Amino acid sequence: MNNSLSPSRTLDIVHKGLKRRVNAERRFRLCGLFAIIFSLVCLSTLFVSIFVNGYTAFFQTHIQLTVFLDPDKIDTPNIMDADFSGMVKQSLRTKFPDVKSRKDKRKLYALVSSGAAYQLMDIVKEYPQKIGSEIQVWVPADDDVDMLMKGHIKRNVKESDRRLNDAQISWIETFEEQGKIRKQFNFTFFTSGDSREPELSGVRGAVSGSFLTLIITLVLSFPIGVATAVYLEEFAPKNRWTDLIEVNINNLAAVPSIVFGLLGLAVFLNFFGLPRSSPMVGGFVLTLMTLPTIIIAGRASLKSVPPSIREAALGIGASKTQMVCHHVLPLAMPGMLTGTIIGMAQALGETAPLLMIGMVAFIVDIPGSITDPSTVLPVQIFLWADSPERAFLEKTSAAIMVLLFFLITMNAAAVILRRKFEKKW
Amino acid sequence: MKKSLFVVMVIVCALLSIGVVDSSFAGASRDYISIVGSSTVYPFATVVAEKFGKSSGFKTPKIESTGSGGGHKLFGSGVGVQHPDITNSSRRIKKSEFEKANKNGVTGIVEVKIGYDGIVVANSKKTAVLKLTRRDLYLALAAQVPNPDGSQILISNPYRTWKDVNASLPALKIEVLGPPPTSGTRDAFVELAMEGGAKKFAFIKAMKKIDKKKYKAVCHMVREDGAYIEAGENDNLIVQKLIANPNALGIFGFSFLDQNTDKIQGSFIDGVEPTFEAIADGSYPVSRPLFFYVKKAHVDKIPGIREFLKEFTSEKAWGDEGYLTDKGLIPMPVAERKKYRSAVENLTELALSDL
Amino acid sequence: MQAEIINAMSPDAELFQAYSNRTQSMENRSMQVPRGDRRTVGQATVENPKVRCENVDIFYDLGEKKAINNITLDIGQNEVIAMIGPSGCGKSTFLRSMNRMNDTIEGCRMDGKIFLEGKNIYDKDVDVVPLRAQVGMVFQKPNPFPKSIYDNVAYGPKIHGLVRTKNQTDEIVEHSLIRAGLWEEVKDRLDKPGTGLSGGQQQRLCIARTIAVGPEVILMDEPCSALDPIATAIIEDLMDELRKEYSIVIVTHSMQQASRVSQRTAFFHLGDLIEIGPTEQIFLNPIHQLTQDYITGRFG
Repeated sequence: MNNSLSPSRTLDIVHKGLKRRVNAERRFRLCGLFAIIFSLVCLSTLFVSIFVNGYTAFFQTHIQLTVFLDPDKIDTPNIMDADFSGMVKQSLRTKFPDVKSRKDKRKLYALVSSGAAYQLMDIVKEYPQKIGSEIQVWVPADDDVDMLMKGHIKRNVKESDRRLNDAQISWIETFEEQGKIRKQFNFTFFTSGDSREPELSGVRGAVSGSFLTLIITLVLSFPIGVATAVYLEEFAPKNRWTDLIEVNINNLAAVPSIVFGLLGLAVFLNFFGLPRSSPMVGGFVLTLMTLPTIIIAGRASLKSVPPSIREAALGIGASKTQMVCHHVLPLAMPGMLTGTIIGMAQALGETAPLLMIGMVAFIVDIPGSITDPSTVLPVQIFLWADSPERAFLEKTSAAIMVLLFFLITMNAAAVILRRKFEKKW
Repeated sequence: MKKSLFVVMVIVCALLSIGVVDSSFAGASRDYISIVGSSTVYPFATVVAEKFGKSSGFKTPKIESTGSGGGHKLFGSGVGVQHPDITNSSRRIKKSEFEKANKNGVTGIVEVKIGYDGIVVANSKKTAVLKLTRRDLYLALAAQVPNPDGSQILISNPYRTWKDVNASLPALKIEVLGPPPTSGTRDAFVELAMEGGAKKFAFIKAMKKIDKKKYKAVCHMVREDGAYIEAGENDNLIVQKLIANPNALGIFGFSFLDQNTDKIQGSFIDGVEPTFEAIADGSYPVSRPLFFYVKKAHVDKIPGIREFLKEFTSEKAWGDEGYLTDKGLIPMPVAERKKYRSAVENLTELALSDL
Repeated sequence: MQAEIINAMSPDAELFQAYSNRTQSMENRSMQVPRGDRRTVGQATVENPKVRCENVDIFYDLGEKKAINNITLDIGQNEVIAMIGPSGCGKSTFLRSMNRMNDTIEGCRMDGKIFLEGKNIYDKDVDVVPLRAQVGMVFQKPNPFPKSIYDNVAYGPKIHGLVRTKNQTDEIVEHSLIRAGLWEEVKDRLDKPGTGLSGGQQQRLCIARTIAVGPEVILMDEPCSALDPIATAIIEDLMDELRKEYSIVIVTHSMQQASRVSQRTAFFHLGDLIEIGPTEQIFLNPIHQLTQDYITGRFG
């Protein structure tokens, strides 16, 4: 039928179209390259902007005060009742004796964080022998002072346009001249829970909450997900029921996460009466949310195990369970682990379902068990982003960095685990 | 072989942890105060809660920001540890909410007003301060406005620039960023500013008596042709958008203006600038009271409620120079503070007839 | 097929040469059995068989498709029986029915009886686990487990509980590898992955793995189709050796291979067993027209 296409003619035709094909190929590759560059630019813009906004939050301005631990004011057994903030105020008044009016004094006291009093309390609790002596102590500055020192508040704008007035700035300058104000690493950010004072707030409560919630999620969703995937893929008969289950699982994976929150509210809180805002219920809800991901990933990785391995095992006389446990599951495990970690990472970043079960809350105390009220990292970010204080802006970015750090760690763990498992073969 | 053992172990762990969980919440009691409610009151309640937690020896109360309506729903759903003790509200409790709570067994409710919040209409400092009236706001933002030719017919909003609304205003395009309908700020703004402006038209005011539903719709419906932009619940976002777009106006709580005085300025409304003092003495027209409600049945059952209420109503918290004013709360006059403090001390119950 | 016939002129395929020389004369001879006759020609039963298949029907897709049609065939003691036939003729399906590997295929059904030493393996009380230990299988593609060489061989004995101590395991592994002719090549790297061996070595590892469980019958499903001629030759020699202890059933597409390794040959066509007889007779003097057409390369 193609007698007319002699070899030389074929070659001619091919040559004629060759340039077009080469160009098409080049265009295609350029498109791909462009897409990658675009996404890299977006990603790095995101990272850079978060970093630029947030890195200052890792440092906090502190002011050195000379405080007299007045024995008259401290009732030794009930240290909690002592007026430590009065001592802080006394120390500031001693430092600036010419501040007389009530209004000015208030402005002066506003330079130091309310956390200073708690810090003094901790010192006295730990070293009661210091009562009656004068101590030098670095206390956190108020968030407005911190913002000024970090350059977020400009000194050269009109007085009415900034939150610190001229007198306050002159006092800060006095501290600066004496070297009694400095920025130091912000340990508070990593050791304390939420606070309404930006300089006292930290991510530890949220990190602990996230950790407890994820542990529950992992402990529940991994075995259930793997068992489900194995049963559906290896044991269940292929009939209308299993088709129905499969369709449903795939649908569940696409259900908006808030729906799982509503379900959690109805079932775990209202029906079972489990404690509101607890990592336990959060973990249950996130388990429901991650299960479809794990099951789908698990089934895909089970499917990818070559049938020859199954036949080999069966051919020797392994039972079906032995075949699955000894050969199929170990081979599918890297894929399952990857799916699980992706599911966990998703769960780590989730806020919507937790809103419904009361985990979007102001919680200062660090949760110690899975029934304590707690919040999680993304919720903390959400809450801080919505706070009026300017200093929470950088805290928000810093918390995002912490979240990203955990996400990157988890994904790296997925890669390492996969490598490790695969190396064995 | 090892793998199967591993799987079995994981399953056992899962079952065990469920068992542990099971036993730990059976007969649970709560040793911390649970607070829900308005996102407007949230910043004030959290400050009090934190101070309370750090200085009293009780656990820090847990505060959820659920919105006023959501808060009342949770609060009124019953008595018991699984229900919250206190709900914050940026408006007074509604009759229906009160009745529903009573029906669910929540009978003794103590009402505490904590202060005022101003809602400001602000723009970037790069442009001139606007001097608006509530009438202007109504005409600029309502979905339906009286026909500009003077006839008493409502037409869909024809105004494009502020100058169209009021000749003394600049010829800037009307572009207002504000909260979505789920927000309490939006409710208060519509009620205080827009309804207040609409009432300036006699025939609309008259409508209230004849057809209350229609009156509400006329006053409260915000235009949806792009002049009013719903910017989400996050007021910080609105502030940032205002800085980026100097021609736009934004609607948010006074505390956000207070924190960003270097970048944005509040517009005059009816000739009054939104300042701390103007809101406190009531001359600034767009301000609203803030409340919280306490479940009397929970006092003395949940540790610390009495002490928490004492802290909240102390002068150092809600007084003229209290720490709540630093966070932007506008304090009540002394007499009113006294009244509510005694209500808290005696746990005076709110009656349906008060509403 | 043409290519295979040309290849068949290798020096060690004497039988085949003889057959090729006679092809010419056979062409013109009229067969005793015409093409249309689907009944089995030849002696399907033997004295004292290892496996006896009686009236086996196999269906796929829940009975929609019949793959094997009423086949009766005996496998003798210590013999290699080859199954040949064009693709899709059912020879692999039939092979797999002898250790019930078809059970794993969804919608596959089997009628008839298969006796292993007098016991019907399709009886309700028969467990496939011991059956498959008795009737081992080697697959078309070498499929060692992704484990070490040692573990590959030791796996079967371990799961069946044939070994208790490490010494016993070592012994059985060594013995099996020696029997499979692989010991010398791998004795220094037993802990290396089995998947790292060459194709021929892998297949011998699979054979070692099969014989480690001590089977009585070994089923081989085109065991050399993925191997080069040298590896093929080694495996074929091995089969001859293994025949002393086991009965071997081999499915193959290579007629030279069938002629080289088997004592009896069965020719399948579209689910029917067309002809069965001594290998020499099948290749030199087929009775059925279809058999002759196939071995002379008329179709297939």
